[in-house]
Amino acid sequence: MEIIKALSIGALFGIGLYQLLRRNVIRSAIGLVIISNAVNLFLLSIGAYDGVVEAYAKAVGQRSDALPQALILTAIVISLGGFAFVLALLYVIAARYRTGDSDEVKGLSH
Amino acid sequence: MNDALVISLIACAVGASVAGVFTASALGHRIPTRVMGWLLAIAPAIVFVALLAQSPAVLAGQTLSWSVVWIPSLGLHFSLLLDGLSLLFALLVSGIGALVVVYAGYYFAPKHGDEKPGGENGGPQSRTTPHSRFSNTDARFFLYVLLFMTSMLGLVLAGDVITLFVFWEGTSITSFLLIAYKTKDEEARSGAFKALFVTGGGGIALLAGLLFASAISGSTDLATILRSGDALRNDAWYPVMLGLIAFGAFTKSVQAPFHFWLPKAMTAPTPASAYLHSATMVKAGIYLMARLYPALGNTPMWFWLLIVTGGATMLLGAISGLRQSDLKSMLAYSTVSQLGVLMMLIGKESPSAFKALAIGVLAHALYKGALFMIAGIVDHGTGVRDLRRLGHLWRVMPWTFVVCSIAALSMAGLPPLFGFLAKETLLAAELEDVLPRLIRIVLPGITVLTGALMLAQAASLTLDAFVTKPGTGWPASRLGSDDTRDMPNLHAHEAPAGMLLGPAILAGLSLVIGVLQPETIASLLASTATAAYGAKVKVSLELFHGVNLPLILSGIAIALGVVLFTLRSPIRGIPSVPALNMNLIYDGVLRGLDRAAEVVTRTQGGRIRIYLAVILTTLFALVIVFGELWRVFDGVALPDLSRRLFDEPLSVQTALRAFSLLLAVAASFVSIIIRRDLLAIIALGSSGLAVAVVIALEPSPDVALVQAVVDVLTLVVLVLALSRLPRAQRKRAEGLNGAGAQTRNVLLAVAGGAMVTVLCLYAFASRPRTSLVTPYYEQNAKPLTGAADIVGAIVVDFRGFDTMIEITVFSMAGIGVFSLLRYAMKKRETAGLPTEGEIEPDLAALLQRPLPPTITGIDGVRTSPFIHALAYIALPLSFVLAIVQTIYGHDQPGDGFTAGVTLSLGVGFWYVVFGYDETRSRLRFLRPGLLIGAGILTVMAGSIAPVFLGGGFFSPFDFGAALGLPLPKGFYVSTSFLFEVAICLVVLGAAIFIIDTLGHPERDLE
Repeated sequence: MEIIKALSIGALFGIGLYQLLRRNVIRSAIGLVIISNAVNLFLLSIGAYDGVVEAYAKAVGQRSDALPQALILTAIVISLGGFAFVLALLYVIAARYRTGDSDEVKGLSH
Repeated sequence: MNDALVISLIACAVGASVAGVFTASALGHRIPTRVMGWLLAIAPAIVFVALLAQSPAVLAGQTLSWSVVWIPSLGLHFSLLLDGLSLLFALLVSGIGALVVVYAGYYFAPKHGDEKPGGENGGPQSRTTPHSRFSNTDARFFLYVLLFMTSMLGLVLAGDVITLFVFWEGTSITSFLLIAYKTKDEEARSGAFKALFVTGGGGIALLAGLLFASAISGSTDLATILRSGDALRNDAWYPVMLGLIAFGAFTKSVQAPFHFWLPKAMTAPTPASAYLHSATMVKAGIYLMARLYPALGNTPMWFWLLIVTGGATMLLGAISGLRQSDLKSMLAYSTVSQLGVLMMLIGKESPSAFKALAIGVLAHALYKGALFMIAGIVDHGTGVRDLRRLGHLWRVMPWTFVVCSIAALSMAGLPPLFGFLAKETLLAAELEDVLPRLIRIVLPGITVLTGALMLAQAASLTLDAFVTKPGTGWPASRLGSDDTRDMPNLHAHEAPAGMLLGPAILAGLSLVIGVLQPETIASLLASTATAAYGAKVKVSLELFHGVNLPLILSGIAIALGVVLFTLRSPIRGIPSVPALNMNLIYDGVLRGLDRAAEVVTRTQGGRIRIYLAVILTTLFALVIVFGELWRVFDGVALPDLSRRLFDEPLSVQTALRAFSLLLAVAASFVSIIIRRDLLAIIALGSSGLAVAVVIALEPSPDVALVQAVVDVLTLVVLVLALSRLPRAQRKRAEGLNGAGAQTRNVLLAVAGGAMVTVLCLYAFASRPRTSLVTPYYEQNAKPLTGAADIVGAIVVDFRGFDTMIEITVFSMAGIGVFSLLRYAMKKRETAGLPTEGEIEPDLAALLQRPLPPTITGIDGVRTSPFIHALAYIALPLSFVLAIVQTIYGHDQPGDGFTAGVTLSLGVGFWYVVFGYDETRSRLRFLRPGLLIGAGILTVMAGSIAPVFLGGGFFSPFDFGAALGLPLPKGFYVSTSFLFEVAICLVVLGAAIFIIDTLGHPERDLE
């Protein structure tokens, strides 16, 4: 399972990277989301305990590790905020440079 | 422990700051510049007296030192040291400094009804100064000079090589400022840059060399370094170290081939030239080499390096000097020559050489300082510095002529002046038996020639300027048009007494020392030579020691000099040899730097993707190389991994996990290959949902919920943004990806993916199997916070402060999006369309209003009534969900984040379905700013309130129980609940900001 997980996370990261490097800025934005998904999965997977039940006080059995979960919970929301900001920037750029092509975004005086 | 040293430095600093203060203060403008000069000379005068007060102890052989801890963590000390060598230089620096400051007061004071001389003043503002008041530009000069003096004193008094280096650089910088004093003059700026480039480069080399010396001797303390001479000389790095230090010293002390900056530095005001570029700063390299002689000297490399460089410099400077028509340039070249002499003397390891060195330093400072000041007086009095146009000046400037003659006689090396003694001792040192035979023949030969050239120059600048008629001594080929030749003398006038004071004292000292041969000077020089040489050196100032070889050679030099002087006109007519010109090399180096910069910047094509690719490649390379990723699986990890992979029982959960992971990857991959952006976004959404399933199977329901709703919201935001970016251009950009770029991107992506896979495997294999933190949370979640949901307890309680900051960050992102795009709103206002606050929020009327027949969704797409109905249901439903989640989130899956995002989704749905205007008018009560503010205030109130109720900041408190409220089971009005509400409000507010701004129909942009 761990090998599959590692391969999947690697694949997600690679795909995200590829998207990020494209000229179409919307695809770059998509790449950013995929990368943050990959990173969140990675963080979730390195918890100390492989749980079989939820991390609730009353649950019986081996609970999943609550610490990384709490960390990525806020991370997910924060990355949404950051992502929205990136989109706003893209929007401003598109309006200023009249393009959706990152290669045409050159110089500052427009 | 010597306070006088510190006092001297402080006094200079105070003087410098006084000048600085006057720059701005109105008081400065009421004081005549001449008076200001006298006032400012007090600072160096105090230093001079303080040093004199210390001199008896130093002359008795004592070394005074003082030290204070500077940077203890680096073992650095700021330390000062005063011995014979420092004393001579410090006395010169402060003594000549005082005279120069007084002199400069007169130099800068404009004559009545006249402009300042030669445009030496800085800018136009000084020209508007009506009379001889102390102006800002004058203050600038005094500030620089006094700062220089502080640096120079620090340099010669430094007892630690780092201290020395700091002051060394200080002199370079103040020298730069003074050379570029006429900031509007192109030549002055380039000359200043040249000086800084050369001496600054030397400074860096010097630092490296000094660090070598400190590393080998184990201390930056100068005394320690001087004691570890044997270790330094025997070290394998000795040649490098000596090379670096000598390079620093040679550039500073204008040794060939680095001498070329000094003549260009003559754009500095003449007082600065007299002070920095002849008497003191250019001797810093001499001081340094003399200082380090006990540590580094007495080796063949030292000998040849200094002898050859010094000898070449001596001859080169003397030959070039005679050809100069500019008074200051001629003096500059003779300075170069004299510095070559001094450098050469340090190369030799005999007491007589160091005796000659001490005498030479003093003699040169006295006569050259005087001559430079005379040049300034001539310039001041006539407005001309060109020897070809000067003449007959002795009639109008008799006193100047007298002083000039005395100084020139010393320069010429004629008895009974001090300069004669300098030449005698120099020749005596060169004829010693200890030297190799070749040297004993070559050096005196060069010296005789140099001496002759010096005499010719001294005679030329005295006689040609003051006695003969203009143009004498110059071949017709080098004379300009005749009409202006006699002009300057019409306005010429004698210098004021105060201005003559400086040169008179210096020239007078040359005469007095030569004639009276005072014992104090002899013992001062002896102590200097002793300190530099490291063993006892005797100095006698007696001029004649009977007829011996030096005296004969001296006679030859004088005779030859007279011949050269007579023949000066034809000599000057010889066209200069286009030999190795260092200025050309310097220009070439600068051009090369420019070209290199151009080539480097050419790689920055402005394409962001390329930058990103370069950055990522570098990052991967760094991680792989320094993380040693190929060695990660050495030993234990792999068998363990494979065992876990194959031994794991194939449960439904495992299969599901694997399936959803695969789904996530596949959906992401689809987002690459699919052509339409909208579909790619939907693929991304599926991928995110699959990730949510993986998380849910962890099992981690809270995070899975957040992931799911955030994923959908991301989708909404992306779709909103998509409608703002011109489709045609997006498509075009996609089509423009070349095959090469594709391949590069694929390679980078594969490399990045592989690297992350390896990192993951390594992390999974080596992760700790027990946690120190989690068990604590598990045990204390319920008892301490009342929350059964451990994740929720961590988020709102154990790490509550963290979460509070995180929601603030999130709200900042929302506000950031809003303010980035705010100008769109402004355009809307000017377009006359309704904006927030203009429409009456009559909710009842709005709700009763029938739907307009042409309600269009986002991007002007007409939406079906069925979708409308869904939207009507979705929003209230999201409210219910959110409320349930905030109330029961601490025991059940779900929390404030989920609640906030769920609500935002309901609102976002409305934006998509009903369009911007309709949604804004219907949901007027959703004010994002208000929501964020209310949320953050709630969390702050909720965290501070327990402080007043017997708890601590952020400690859990159940308000419901405390007040005895009748609440349903499982609902606690506690701090956790308040926090959840706050999170919900903030997330909702920020999300609405984002949706609202991105969903705003920006018609003007299309």
